[in-house]
Amino acid sequence: MASETKTFQPDILKALRFPTTPAEILRKRQSLKKELLGQANLTPTRIAILGGSTTAEVKSMLELFLLAQGIQPTFFESGYNRYSEDVLFQNPDLWNFKPDIVFVHTTWHNVSQFPQLMEPEAEVEQRVRREMARFASVWEKIHTELGALIIQNNFDLPHLRPLGNLEASESFARVNFLMRLNAEFAKYARSHSRFLINDIHYLSAQVGLNNWHGRAYWYNFHMALSPTATVPLAQNLAAIVKSVYGKSKKCLVLDLDNTLWGGIVGDDGVQNLILGRDHPVGEAFLDFQRYVKDLQRRGIILAVCSKNDIENAKEGFSHPDSILKVEDFSVFKANWNPKPGNMREIARELNIGLDSLVFVDDNPAERALVADQLPEVAVPDVGSDVSRFAEALEHERYFEVDRVVQDDLKRAVYYNSNAQRSTYQAGFRDYGEFLASLEMTAEIGSFSAVYLERTTQLINKTNQFNLTTKRYTSAEVESISRDPGFVTLYGRLADRFGDNGLVSVLIGRVSGETLEVDVWLMSCRVLNREMELAMFDTLVEHCQARGIRRIVGVYIPTKKNNMVAGHYSGLGFTRLTESSGDHELWRFDVPQSYSLRTRFIRRTAQTLPTSANA
Amino acid sequence: MPKMTREEFLLEMDEILDLKPGTLRGHEKLEDLKNWDSTALISLITMAETNNSAQISPDQVVGCSTVADLLRLAQVDGSSS
Repeated sequence: MASETKTFQPDILKALRFPTTPAEILRKRQSLKKELLGQANLTPTRIAILGGSTTAEVKSMLELFLLAQGIQPTFFESGYNRYSEDVLFQNPDLWNFKPDIVFVHTTWHNVSQFPQLMEPEAEVEQRVRREMARFASVWEKIHTELGALIIQNNFDLPHLRPLGNLEASESFARVNFLMRLNAEFAKYARSHSRFLINDIHYLSAQVGLNNWHGRAYWYNFHMALSPTATVPLAQNLAAIVKSVYGKSKKCLVLDLDNTLWGGIVGDDGVQNLILGRDHPVGEAFLDFQRYVKDLQRRGIILAVCSKNDIENAKEGFSHPDSILKVEDFSVFKANWNPKPGNMREIARELNIGLDSLVFVDDNPAERALVADQLPEVAVPDVGSDVSRFAEALEHERYFEVDRVVQDDLKRAVYYNSNAQRSTYQAGFRDYGEFLASLEMTAEIGSFSAVYLERTTQLINKTNQFNLTTKRYTSAEVESISRDPGFVTLYGRLADRFGDNGLVSVLIGRVSGETLEVDVWLMSCRVLNREMELAMFDTLVEHCQARGIRRIVGVYIPTKKNNMVAGHYSGLGFTRLTESSGDHELWRFDVPQSYSLRTRFIRRTAQTLPTSANA
Repeated sequence: MPKMTREEFLLEMDEILDLKPGTLRGHEKLEDLKNWDSTALISLITMAETNNSAQISPDQVVGCSTVADLLRLAQVDGSSS
């Protein structure tokens, strides 16, 4: 679908893409920022940077990488090394700032006291506990009083090792102590949903400690990192923020010949493809396939876009060493059409935006064509050396997630089932007959703790079928679920092809006899299945049970949710005169007697509130 | 790696300060340059370090008053130190 807004020229971003040169980014930061600020529809966010060292460089670079992700930050910076004081003593500037995200930029320099030489293990353990308690007191206060998401650096390692290799094994040594603290930070992250680790332990190893620490910068400016190391730090942080705002990519689209195996399957035949441990390049292809399979296992959708006859293309996966199989791909486009058209079809069939796709092809001409015609698609410059393909994908952090929930693990299954449904649909005379044959059942109920993570994930990631695009943190969702001033509904949909999982969320704010829709969204994988009608039927029943007489539907148009522009009129709502172009209000009077809208979904039993005070 | 020429250095300084290529000639006073701030200072030090292997301290940069002083500090070819 052609965008009416000015297409942002990705050329500008080249300096920020793999392979990057930090010195070039530092040099060009002013002009990059100016260009990036020209983008339309930037998502605003408020980030407090609490530093254990000076943070001006971090702020400057983070702004750049966030803008490149379509996120426009406003910053608060703590004074030098006031990361805990500003929180514990409630700096009013920080409290008034009301951050969405607090980034605690601490490094090994901020460990209050390392163990003494030969200190007994029990005392070292006590020291670990004290250090954790010190940090945890800051985090708890941020969570409870500022309500912000926390991104916390774990610890990098010092570049000097007074104890040599014993630093790694002795409990009183600094390196060993820092590793223990990192394990404790990780444990805390696993048990707190609004707390994410910025893994500088990994980043510093990737950059190399000698490049990570700039001693002159520490002594002159108290910068814990060299300016060039600030670039990967900011990129990593921006990827975390991107994932929180649901801007990570969803689908990896792959070429086949010389991308997933060496050789041309149509010319060389399956038996002659270079793939497997008996050939150095074949082993590299095998490792890339394994990396792709790992992405698929954790919920990234796979698709094929290849210039091939489809039979030949599919036959390639019958190679005995191929880790990937045809059934791993949710969409398979192998034909001789130009790839941009196939990419559009892939997005359409998956019901996701072009901006959710990443395209990997060894052929620079194909990459250039897709990048030129579909600027929304991410096209990394992977080169032609398969041993670097995964590195390019990793570098760009396309698929960063803030957590992995059970539904992610099943995603490929859902989308594959969708492909089966499409084929199945072709055999029916009309769409109603098809829907009836699906034998759909929906479980719709009030928010449940079991689904809290998935509910929050949908709220923060759904862009298209989303009436208000309001985002809530998991703490806020939990609070809303317990608040009698709200009606909350989640919806799961299953059919003869499988379970689609939790696909719809609705939050209504109750005031007297009126319910105003605060959130109403649905995953695009169940579009045109009447799930929205099933949700509406349940909402009306809840309203009837609670004595609510009127439902006010809210529609806040965005660049991405045009598909629901006619949602309320389709349900019989009347547009209110107080509506404005960017905030439409619609009214529905709850009738005493209501005819169910959905014809093809059987709703499973649910508990309705029994009184107005329920 | 060959050291940067005077022209290359000035072009990179233009970029750091978000000026049109060819703006800086060398005689400019730093205090008159709109974007000359601590961020630009760090970018300059990194540039000198990366391209010319020149170790410059912030104190030395603060002691400069013109672009020509920076050229000398960064040991750019054609600038006497």
